[in-house]
Amino acid sequence: MMLTLTDLLVASIALAVPVLVAASGELVGERAGVLTMSVEGMMLTGAFAAVVGATSSGSALVGVACGALAGLLVGVLQAVLSVTLRADQIVTGIAANALALAGTTFGARLLLERGTEVPGFARVAVPVLSEIPVIGPVLFRQTGLAYALIATVVVLGVLTSRRTGWGLAVDAAGEDAASADRSGIAVLRVRFGAVLVVGLLSGLAGTQLALSEVHTFTDNMTAGVGYLAVVAVIAGSWRPVGVAVAALVFGLAQALQFTLPALGVDVPFALLVMLPYVLALLAVAGLVSHSRPPSGLTKPFVRLGRAT
Amino acid sequence: MSTTHPPADAGAPGALPGSRTSITTVPALALHAVTRVFGTHTALDSVDLEVAPGEVHCILGENGAGKSTLCNIVFGALPPTSGEVCLAGEPFAPSSPSDALAHGVAMVHQHFSLVPTLTVEENLLLGRGRARLRPDRRGLVVRLAEIEETLGLHVDPRARVGTLSVGARQRVEIVKALLDRPRLLLLDEPTGVLGPDEIDGLLATCRRVAAAGTAVVLITHKLAEVMRVGDRATVLRAGRVVGTGPLAREHGGGRSVPAPSGPTGSEPSWRDEELLEAGDLVGLMVGRDVSSLDPLLAASVGVTRTRAAGAAPAHVARRTAVPDDTTPPVLAVHGLVVETPDGARRVDGVDLEVRPGEIVGIAGVEGNGQSELVAALSGALRPAAGTVRLDGQDVTRARPARRTALGLGVVPEDRHHEAVVAGLSVTTNLLLARLHRFRRFGLLDRRAMRAAAAELARRFDVRAASLDAPVSALSGGNQQKAVLARELSLEPLRCVVAAQPTRGLDLGAVDDVVAHLRATADAGVGVLVVSSELSELLVLCDHVHVAYRGALSAPVPTDAPDARERVAHLMTGAAA
Repeated sequence: MMLTLTDLLVASIALAVPVLVAASGELVGERAGVLTMSVEGMMLTGAFAAVVGATSSGSALVGVACGALAGLLVGVLQAVLSVTLRADQIVTGIAANALALAGTTFGARLLLERGTEVPGFARVAVPVLSEIPVIGPVLFRQTGLAYALIATVVVLGVLTSRRTGWGLAVDAAGEDAASADRSGIAVLRVRFGAVLVVGLLSGLAGTQLALSEVHTFTDNMTAGVGYLAVVAVIAGSWRPVGVAVAALVFGLAQALQFTLPALGVDVPFALLVMLPYVLALLAVAGLVSHSRPPSGLTKPFVRLGRAT
Repeated sequence: MSTTHPPADAGAPGALPGSRTSITTVPALALHAVTRVFGTHTALDSVDLEVAPGEVHCILGENGAGKSTLCNIVFGALPPTSGEVCLAGEPFAPSSPSDALAHGVAMVHQHFSLVPTLTVEENLLLGRGRARLRPDRRGLVVRLAEIEETLGLHVDPRARVGTLSVGARQRVEIVKALLDRPRLLLLDEPTGVLGPDEIDGLLATCRRVAAAGTAVVLITHKLAEVMRVGDRATVLRAGRVVGTGPLAREHGGGRSVPAPSGPTGSEPSWRDEELLEAGDLVGLMVGRDVSSLDPLLAASVGVTRTRAAGAAPAHVARRTAVPDDTTPPVLAVHGLVVETPDGARRVDGVDLEVRPGEIVGIAGVEGNGQSELVAALSGALRPAAGTVRLDGQDVTRARPARRTALGLGVVPEDRHHEAVVAGLSVTTNLLLARLHRFRRFGLLDRRAMRAAAAELARRFDVRAASLDAPVSALSGGNQQKAVLARELSLEPLRCVVAAQPTRGLDLGAVDDVVAHLRATADAGVGVLVVSSELSELLVLCDHVHVAYRGALSAPVPTDAPDARERVAHLMTGAAA
C-alpha cells in the first residue's frame, strides 16, 4: 500500500514537471497580455526537435538545445502573429498547434526510425535525501534535466516578480498597455519577449517529456498537456505559486490513470484519461478561482487607438 | 532655498535667478510648421509655437481643434506628417513616449498613465530606463520627500492606484511626471475630473513647477483656469493657430514681466503684443462674436466683457415658465438605493422631484453615485430599494423601452458606449428609439427615415458630411447634438435625464446643448441635469442638489446670491 502511494506521487511529479515548466512560461506571456494557445504546438515541436537532435548527435544535451531552440522558433512565429501583426491570438495559436502536429508527424516519418535508441536523461538519486521515505523517491529521484528545469522556473519566477523592473513592465503591459506605453515602456518589445519566454519554456517542457520520461518521439505525444498548461495558469489565478499547485494537481490527475488500475480499482480507463481535462473545464469555468485575468489579455496594442 | 514656503504663484525671483526668461533665450519647445494629417482630415495645419522655460503656456481650442494631437506629437505618441519640433533649440523627433521621456519631456495625461492594479510605488518605478533588475526604491523615497517639500504634493507609495480617488490619482500622475525633473511638462485637460479645491491646488502646482524653470504647457478648454495661471496662450481652431500672445492674468503677475502700466490699454504693452483677455480668447476659440453666446454662460466661464458679468447671476429673463410647487412632479424618486454586487451602497436613499418645466441639477465631483443614479433612472440598473415614478406611474423595475414609451428621454454619460452605435449611420442613430414607426410591409422605409433624420439634423444643427455616414465620423459635439436630437424629440416627452451633457464639448457646442435643454423645459418637460461643471449648472438650473457619497443634499436655489459658494461647500462633503 505504502509503495503504491509513493508510486502515485512519483508518477504525479513526473507528469507535473512538463505542465509546470510550460505553465510558468505561459504565465509570463499572459501577464504581459498575450494568450499563447500554441503551448501545445511548442511542446510538441520541442519534443520532436529534442529527439532528432539527441539521436543524430548522440548527446542528450544537444537534444535539449535543439528542443529549446525549436520552442523558441515557434515562439517567434507566434509573437510575430500575435504582437507584431496583431492577429487574433486564439485563432493563430490553434493554427500553430495544427501546424506543429502535422509538421512533427511528417518529420517523424522522414527523420526518425522506430526502435532507435534515444540518448536521454536517467534518474539521479540525491544522496541521503533520496533515502527519506515517500518524500525521498518523490522529490529527489528526478532526472538532471528535471532539476535544472525546476531551478529555471524558480529563477524565472524571481526575475519576473514585481520586485524587478522587468516584472513591473510585464504586468503593466498586460494590465494597461496604454498607460505602460505612456510611462515609457516599450509595450510591443515586452510582449514579444514574453512570448519568446513562452516558446523557450514550452520547448524545454516538450524536451523533458521526450528525453526524461518517454525516451522517444511518438505522434502527438503531448496529447493535450500544453492545453493543461494554459488552464493551469487560469486555475492558478495568474500567480506563480497557484500555477505550480495547479500543475501538480493536473500531474496527479494524469497519474491516476496508471495507478488506479494497478490498485485493482475498477474504473473505465477512458474516464481516467478524461479526468485532467474535466478538471481543466471546471477550472476554466471559474469554479476553482474567481480571480480576474490581466485586463489587457488578448487585446493587441495600438498606440492612440486609431491606426490611421 | 526658500522652498519650504513656496509662494502660491512664484512672483518673487527665487531659487533660480538665472532662469528668469526673456524672449531672447532659446525656447524650451518650438514647433515650426508642424502638420499632421489623418487620412483626409488635417488635424494640425502648419502650426508654429514657442514655449519659453519657466513659462506656463496655455493651449486653448474647441474639441477637435488639434490640441491633443499637438501634445501627442511632442510626447512622441504620434509622428508629425511634416514640420519640425525643437527642444531647447535642438531638433527633436521622438519615436515613442519613452524617447520623449528620455529627453526630459513629461506629460500628465487626461485619462492618466497609471496601472490600477499596481501600487503607487510600482507605478512610479515603472519604465524608468536603468535599473531593470532592481528598481531604485530608496532613490524614489528621497525624491518623493523632495517633491512633497517643494510642491506640497503628498502621495502614499503603498496604496494601490485602483483604490484611490480621482483627485489622488491625479496627484500621483503629476508626481510621476515630475520625478525626473522634466524640462517640459505637458498637461492635457488635467482639471476635467477635479473638484474646485483640487483645481486650485493643481493650478498652484503648475505655477511652482514653472517657477523652477520648467516649461509648462497646459491644454484646457476652461477659460477661467487659463486666466488664472497662464503666462501666454495659443488658440487653435480647426488645426490652425488663430491667435497667440501674453495673457492679461487676473491674479497678479506671476512672471517677471515689466509690469505694464495697465492691464489693457492702447499703449503698447509688453513686447508690443496686445495682452489677451478672456473675451478675446472665446472669440478666437469659437470663431464667432462673443456677444452671440448665451450671456449667462459666457459670464460663468469668465468672459468679462459681457454686460451680464457680475458676482451673482444677473436676473436676466432666464426662464419663461417657472413651475410652482403645487404641480405634481413628472419624475419622483423616493428612498432610492443602488448597491454594487458586493453590497456597497453607491446610491444611498436618494429623494428627488422634478416638476414639468423645471430644470433640476445634480452637482458633485464624479464618482459620488451620480452614474449609478442615472443608470437606475434609465433602467440600466435595478435599485435595491426605493421607488421611481414617472408621471405618477411606478417604473422602478420597468424596462428601458417602457420608460421611453412613457416619455423618458435619457442622454447617457458615456456617449461612445451608451448613447450611439458608432458603426451605424447618423440616420439610424437619430431614429434608433422609434425605428418601428418606419416599418412598411415589415421592412424599414429608408426614404421616410432619411427625411425624418434630415429634419432632426436641421432642427438640432447636427453637422454631418452625410447622414448615411457612420455616426463615429461626427465630431464629439455633433454626436452629442445627435443624441439630444433623438432623445428630445421623443413623443411623448415628459422628462429628460441628461448626464454630463456637455462633457468634452467646446464652448460653442455647450451653448447649443444648454439652449436645447432650456427650450425643452420651456415646453413643459421636466429636465434633470447631472454634471460636474458647476458653472453650467448654476446658469442652467432652477435649483441644484449636490451628490456626495451616494446621498443628495437639499436643493440649493440657483438665484440665491451665495449659491455658488453653498454648492461648492457641499461638494466637499460639508453639511448644509
